[in-house]
Amino acid sequence: MKRILSFWKRGDSFILITAGGLLFSIFMVVLIVGIIMVKGLGFFWPSDIELFQLKNGERFLGQVWDTEQARLTDKNGKVRIVNQTNIKIGNRDIYGRDFVWINNDDIVKKSTPKNGVEFERWEYGNMYGFIKSFTPVSSKDRINKDNFFSEAQKSLKKALALKSQIEEKQNAINKLLTPLSKLQTEISLSEINKTRSKAEIENLRKQEEGIKNSISAKLELLQSELLKLKEENAGIKMTIVTADGKSVTLPLYKFVRFFRPNQMSVMEKAGFYLTKVWEFLTEDPRESNTEGGVFPAIFGTVLMVILMSIAVVPFGVLAALYLNEYAKQGFIVRMIRLAIANLAGVPSIVFGIFGLGFFVYILGGTIDRLFFSSTLPEPTFGTGGILWASLTLALLTLPVVVVATEEGILAVPKANKEGSLALGSTKWQMIRKIVLPNAMPGILTGVILAISRGAGEVAPLMITGVVKLAPSLPLDGTFPFIHLERKFMHLGFHIYDVGFQSPNVEAALPMVYTTALLLIVIVVALNLLAIYMRNNLKKKYKTSTF
Amino acid sequence: MKSDFKKKIERSNKISKAVISFGGYGVIFSIIGIFLFLLYETIPLFYGAEIDTALSFKLSKKKHVVLSGVDQYKELSYLISNNGEIDFFNLKEKRITKKDTLPLAANEIITTGVRNSNGDISLGTDKGRILFFNLNLKPVFTGSQRRIVPQLELKKSFRSDVENPADNNGIKILAFSENDDGVLYWAWVNAEDKLLLKIYDPDEEEYFDFSLSDNLENVNVTALALNPDQESLIAGDDKGELYLFDLSDHSEPDLLDNWKAADFKITSLSFLIGNNTLIVGDKNGNVTSWFEAREKGSDELKYREVHTFKKMDSEIVNVVPSPRNRLFLVIGKNGKVELNYSTTGNTELEFSENKSRVLSASFAPKADGIFVVNSKNEVSLFKLDDEHPDVSWKTLFGKVWYEGYPGPAFVWQSTGGTDSFESKFSLIPLIFGTLKGTFYAMIFAIPIALFGAIYVSQFAPKRFAKIIKPTVEIMAALPSVVIGFLAGLYFSPLFEHHLMLIFLLSVLAPALFLILISFWGMIPERKRRTLPAYYELGFVLFVMAAVYYFSSIVSLPLEKIFFNGDLKQWLYSSLNVSYDQRNSLVVGFALGFAVIPIIFTITEDALSNVPASLSSASLALGASKWQTVKRVILPAAAGGIFAGVMLGLGRAIGETMIVLMATGNTPIMDLSPFDGFRAMSANIAVEIPEAPVDGSLYRVLFLTALLLLVFTFIINSFATYIGDKLRKKYARY
Repeated sequence: MKRILSFWKRGDSFILITAGGLLFSIFMVVLIVGIIMVKGLGFFWPSDIELFQLKNGERFLGQVWDTEQARLTDKNGKVRIVNQTNIKIGNRDIYGRDFVWINNDDIVKKSTPKNGVEFERWEYGNMYGFIKSFTPVSSKDRINKDNFFSEAQKSLKKALALKSQIEEKQNAINKLLTPLSKLQTEISLSEINKTRSKAEIENLRKQEEGIKNSISAKLELLQSELLKLKEENAGIKMTIVTADGKSVTLPLYKFVRFFRPNQMSVMEKAGFYLTKVWEFLTEDPRESNTEGGVFPAIFGTVLMVILMSIAVVPFGVLAALYLNEYAKQGFIVRMIRLAIANLAGVPSIVFGIFGLGFFVYILGGTIDRLFFSSTLPEPTFGTGGILWASLTLALLTLPVVVVATEEGILAVPKANKEGSLALGSTKWQMIRKIVLPNAMPGILTGVILAISRGAGEVAPLMITGVVKLAPSLPLDGTFPFIHLERKFMHLGFHIYDVGFQSPNVEAALPMVYTTALLLIVIVVALNLLAIYMRNNLKKKYKTSTF
Repeated sequence: MKSDFKKKIERSNKISKAVISFGGYGVIFSIIGIFLFLLYETIPLFYGAEIDTALSFKLSKKKHVVLSGVDQYKELSYLISNNGEIDFFNLKEKRITKKDTLPLAANEIITTGVRNSNGDISLGTDKGRILFFNLNLKPVFTGSQRRIVPQLELKKSFRSDVENPADNNGIKILAFSENDDGVLYWAWVNAEDKLLLKIYDPDEEEYFDFSLSDNLENVNVTALALNPDQESLIAGDDKGELYLFDLSDHSEPDLLDNWKAADFKITSLSFLIGNNTLIVGDKNGNVTSWFEAREKGSDELKYREVHTFKKMDSEIVNVVPSPRNRLFLVIGKNGKVELNYSTTGNTELEFSENKSRVLSASFAPKADGIFVVNSKNEVSLFKLDDEHPDVSWKTLFGKVWYEGYPGPAFVWQSTGGTDSFESKFSLIPLIFGTLKGTFYAMIFAIPIALFGAIYVSQFAPKRFAKIIKPTVEIMAALPSVVIGFLAGLYFSPLFEHHLMLIFLLSVLAPALFLILISFWGMIPERKRRTLPAYYELGFVLFVMAAVYYFSSIVSLPLEKIFFNGDLKQWLYSSLNVSYDQRNSLVVGFALGFAVIPIIFTITEDALSNVPASLSSASLALGASKWQTVKRVILPAAAGGIFAGVMLGLGRAIGETMIVLMATGNTPIMDLSPFDGFRAMSANIAVEIPEAPVDGSLYRVLFLTALLLLVFTFIINSFATYIGDKLRKKYARY
């Protein structure tokens, strides 16, 4: 007891308390990163399909999603703790819900049926069931028990191939019709606005007829081919039996893929996992962003940070050079440093509202009035877009670049600079040949930190040009190739939008975790790179001072 | 002679100097620019109302105008004279472009008229007739040319007298209105001072006539106002009393209430837009506003006096409500006109009509102009510039009594379902929300960050510290959207589900932790000193795990014993505390997580930079490690610690995504940790996409941003200043 008293009296206990504070903060980092890793990495793993048989005769086929202890209050007001399991049962179009909670006590039998199939669909989410029959590609009698599933896959392949053929045909028809529809809108527009005389309109009508005649034969052929393909594809069907014994027949082209996780080996699962990760990184989102990939969001984020860097780096480097090489240390420099320190502390939403008010409404509005007056009141630059979002973020990340560049410039030994000046170089020559090359790691650190900040920032973007689903990328093959006025998608906003604005949050959650993981990986990797470069910067000059 | 080469070099040297200097000043310009731009968008909120005579002319012919108005472009006006003539006067060309005549009998004279916002007009005559017609001034576009075309459609005309249709009982006072279902109401006082009522029900296609004077003995009705939304009629008498009739039963109007509203004869009554606020004007020039509200402790809705407006120095002859907002004109008998705003009770401006009586006054449909005809036969159009009457220092920061509320309150509710919604722009709930979130974040973050920084800088093994610093930097780099998303979708349901455990962890666990770590003291001091620091860390980790394990085991039994098995339910039933899933606790945790690395990094820097000579001296004098930290290192690093805490505070105030996602964003003012709130930053993010550019809401949101900027600016500057000062103070060691 005496020892404990002196332990407190001498304050050694406080050392343990402070250690507790540190361990707690580490624990929180590990917890948060851990949750996201577990939830985000696990999503693509094809977990087993289980069949649950309940006391009341209900049968559910699906994947175990979550378990928890629920509190049930019975008639007498007594609270009972019950273990519950959340099962993803899919089949939204049949059951009207994707998930079901069941009490573990109610489970009579649980099994992992070998033939349980998970179907991924283009619409309505997953489906779970057993394949009963399908339209085979090769002759019917060839199908036996052994090749049943692989033949089914062949049919799916054919259906999907037909699907892409149909899309191609549709595109060809659209392409054929483009000049005609253009002409038609021109005619109707000039009729409404009375910009053309009657004779001119008549002339246009004749042109229209001409085009119609010239393409009609080809159009008819294409349309009949399209119809035939569609008919053929609708004929490839599959009948699926669900857990409760219902049979559903669907055309196969409605599926993305189907597989039997219960029969897959670990290697197969790993391969499947990688395919899904690849799909996540390279495909467009489906089903209001809750499935498919996040490619447009990755693309938007990358393009936005590139534009932001183009704006912020020269500005930031100039400011840092001015502070360290040109300005006389005094009031102005103190003011600039104060401005930078404060700029770093200004809440990001304030930059956002500034970007909206100044860049979007004032600059954008002026540009619209001067150069795009023909399309007004439909705004071109006078609404949020990738250019304005990038400029807003450039302002926001300016202090990061300035501070990091200054660090780099300060690390250049004075002797080197003085030596250069003594040899007769002008100040600019000295900066160009000595300061800038040697401060390069510092500048790059700044750029990387700015990019990491820009990639993770959401609040200012959501009011200056980010949207939940952009119809087209801001960079494409049509002139002028880069469309600065377009709205874009962003990983951070994707998390907010899918997690909080989506109609079916529970089904969307895995997507949010995976996107969050991707964002964290990007941001953390960039930061580690910056830390590494900064350490190298310090090392380099430790040896070169003399 | 200089060579070209040298010239070139010098030129590039000059250019580079100019460009680089420009870059340096650019930083100052950008922060000043942001500040000035926010100010520029905010300042118009506080401009007062201004009025300008846009046009004034004298009519060539003597006319007695009973009703007048202009179209929305202020190009065409109409003047209805008492002899039934309607003149359409083109204000651009300054001439009468069209004339029309109402079907009046010989010598019949119009005595009174009312027009509603649909353009429906009712006129009463001295022969006891009511004319009901529609007059709209519609813009017609041919190409880009605009022409205003008047459309006149006579709907009904009927004898007013219910009892003796044959009498030519003239109409003295007339009120008319129409509700959304198309029910029409007329109420009037005839020459015999009888109060009469007519209701047209479009469903039954039937008229109902009533004489209300039976309910009012010895009452001399002097003013009328109809409320189509609440289906009620209000009559004022010469003693200053108001009588409220319920008209919802079309076959039986009913006197509901009667109260004294003024000390003098009531001369004017009018409902404002939204049909909630009633403006009462009396003979002595007093103007008051009333609306139905509950009294404290009572459930009954009653008309209560809300504002008293600036007194006029003559009898109030008319009150004209604005079709757009809660502005209204009060017209005095001596030609003075007052423009008031009902929400604030402010008088925006006053003007006078050349010592002549105002015959008719009306607002332009967009409330950007006032059209006045006076008894000297002068017609004037005033340009009205009062963009933001709904915002003042008082509405932003003071308690305001809004329509339907039981009393003055701080309320933020910027938009509602209808156009006639009364916007409520109190910043107090938002500031309160920001401070509440910041408070919970800071009480969570400060101890953890400070303890962590002290341990890493003073006690931790060097190699361990080397790993910790990058870890914390990673913590700082985690995007706030990820933290917010986890807080909103993972931690808030988790907290709700394990509320008892959270409660134990924040109350019982720290105490238990302190008790358990005492056991470390059982090891003799000399032996403790020689143990590697990792043993210490391992012990603390073990204690923390044990405390957590113990808490999670006892949580359920304790909840059963003390809280009936459900703490959340118990909170509600016993303490009447409701539990929001996304509440301040969750925000405190998440926001605290975001703030910890900022405080940690700066504090750790400050502590590490304390000269080793100081601590060595202290240790050499026999002080223990902790005594050295407490007495020597902490005071010496106080400046840096303070700066770190302040910068953390600045971050917490401005953080947007976390509070947006982890709270319910309801602007309530409540200290309970189990309720959510709405912070200023999240409010901007939520509302700015919907705010019409340059409208009141838009500018108020810019004001919020400006406040945030100023808050953080002060905090940052203060942190720098105090940090420097304290650093200097301890620099002498």
